[in-house]
Amino acid sequence: MDNRLQSIVLDWIPSNSKVVDFGCGDGTLLRILTEQKSVTGYGVENDPEKINACIINGVSVIQQDIDAGIQNYKGMDFDFALMASSIQCLRKPRDAMKNILNVANECVITLPNFGNWELRLGILNGKMPSSAQLPAKWYETKNLHLCTIADFEELCSDESFVIKEKVYLNRRGSSSWLANTFPNLFAAQAVYLIG
Amino acid sequence: MKTVTEKISFGDSLTLESGQVLSSFEVMTETYGELNSKKTNAVLVCHAFSGNHHAAGRRDGETKSGWWDEIIGDGKTIDTSKFFVVSLNNIGGCNGSTGPTTVTSESGQPYGANFPEVTVSDWVETQKLVADHFGISCWEMVAGGSLGGMQALQWAISYPKRIKKAAIIAASAKISTQNIALNEVAREIIKKDEHFHNGDYLVKGESPNKGLKAARMLGHITYLSESNMRKRFGRKLQDPENKIDTDVNYEVENYLQYKGEQFSKTFDANSYILMTKAMDSFDPAKDFDNNLVKCLKRIQAKLLIASFDSDWLFPKEYGLDIQMSAIKAGIDSSYIELDGDYGHDSFLFYSDQYASALKNFLNSNG
Repeated sequence: MDNRLQSIVLDWIPSNSKVVDFGCGDGTLLRILTEQKSVTGYGVENDPEKINACIINGVSVIQQDIDAGIQNYKGMDFDFALMASSIQCLRKPRDAMKNILNVANECVITLPNFGNWELRLGILNGKMPSSAQLPAKWYETKNLHLCTIADFEELCSDESFVIKEKVYLNRRGSSSWLANTFPNLFAAQAVYLIG
Repeated sequence: MKTVTEKISFGDSLTLESGQVLSSFEVMTETYGELNSKKTNAVLVCHAFSGNHHAAGRRDGETKSGWWDEIIGDGKTIDTSKFFVVSLNNIGGCNGSTGPTTVTSESGQPYGANFPEVTVSDWVETQKLVADHFGISCWEMVAGGSLGGMQALQWAISYPKRIKKAAIIAASAKISTQNIALNEVAREIIKKDEHFHNGDYLVKGESPNKGLKAARMLGHITYLSESNMRKRFGRKLQDPENKIDTDVNYEVENYLQYKGEQFSKTFDANSYILMTKAMDSFDPAKDFDNNLVKCLKRIQAKLLIASFDSDWLFPKEYGLDIQMSAIKAGIDSSYIELDGDYGHDSFLFYSDQYASALKNFLNSNG
């Protein structure tokens, strides 16, 4: 997670909240949230090397496949859930979001925008597109359910997931007039606070 | 590695969880490495069901090293050049600590079947007295696998301020119904040995070795995974020259016969029964309205819960169950699932993933 995303999350997350980070990577974000916002945090991760990094980072981590694991969190009471760049990797993103919002009051979701012009150009060239946000080749990508900002916001509206805040970022990871005005075409990434 | 074996005598009486009293008792200990001047580098390792104080290194004349030798030692996962490691034989055992084979001063006879029932909490109480003996006010880590992991968990619950980290490996907050059932079969086999005499075999100069052997053979199967047995023995026939018993056909039979035989010569039948009972009864949540979350809320230590995917005696769901309760309790706890070929016994052996998780946990900031 880059610095811009980090500062957005730091801005949205209330101090002393109880947080679960699905796909927490090496636990850096949770460590920062613990240090700066005094959160009680748990990371969910399935890669042994990243789990080890979490343990070194002093971050509480649960080794689990997110798809299967999310079921285990029923009845839990988190203030905040994080799903940074992994929603499109899940087998059933819509069900996962429902589950997450059942266990957490609010949820941050970041989304690589498949509608970005760079990716559209790739398709026009007749090839599976790639970008800084989506670098993997088609035969090794973990992404199962890529979507555009328009698709995602339509899903939120259909399912009554309330988008409380959103930030559109361009390819350089910053906000810009273009990305804000025509997000589906010019944003490379969107960050949502959903409640 | 500096190794000191010491039998510590405690003159004060100890009231056990059952209400019964041991007027005095002894604990056999073995330590590795050196305690620093502030006494802040101490690690307690708790043995599993049939283990003892000899956790690391190999003594003269021994064919096998201590039970956690792959993990404990200079430069190893639990690095004895950095940490002072305390290992002990729990009371009720039969390797030097007060147990059923101990001759009581009152009767001049061994306790035998009269040795009081002991629990995991009782062991933690005696381990606390051992910590006091060494002047250790807070363990850097308490670690153990299986029944040893239960002790690590109980430590975190019983003495929240005296333990910084607990490594709970291949363990559970209470054992499965299937596990209780297997323990009962083992006990039944021992008790029905004609030399058992309701547990008073020692005074008659006898030992229920046949029962103990068969019980251990059953136990051994449960400690291994199906795939491990398949890879290790397959359906290979036993070489006729090394048959332990003429009826043996396959290597796996010979192996179990051998292991059972060896075990029955060194272990005490009453200890076997008592240790399995302690395992069955372990359920720290029972004192907290059967609510594990409420129970775990007391904990101030950091937990590392590790399960092995091939372990069917303590299935990984049981480790995950502690973790989920730990999250609900809001305590600092991590859960990892390790690849281990050896089934339940995997906790005894080094693997990169296992060792680095344990090492990083031990060395992380408390």
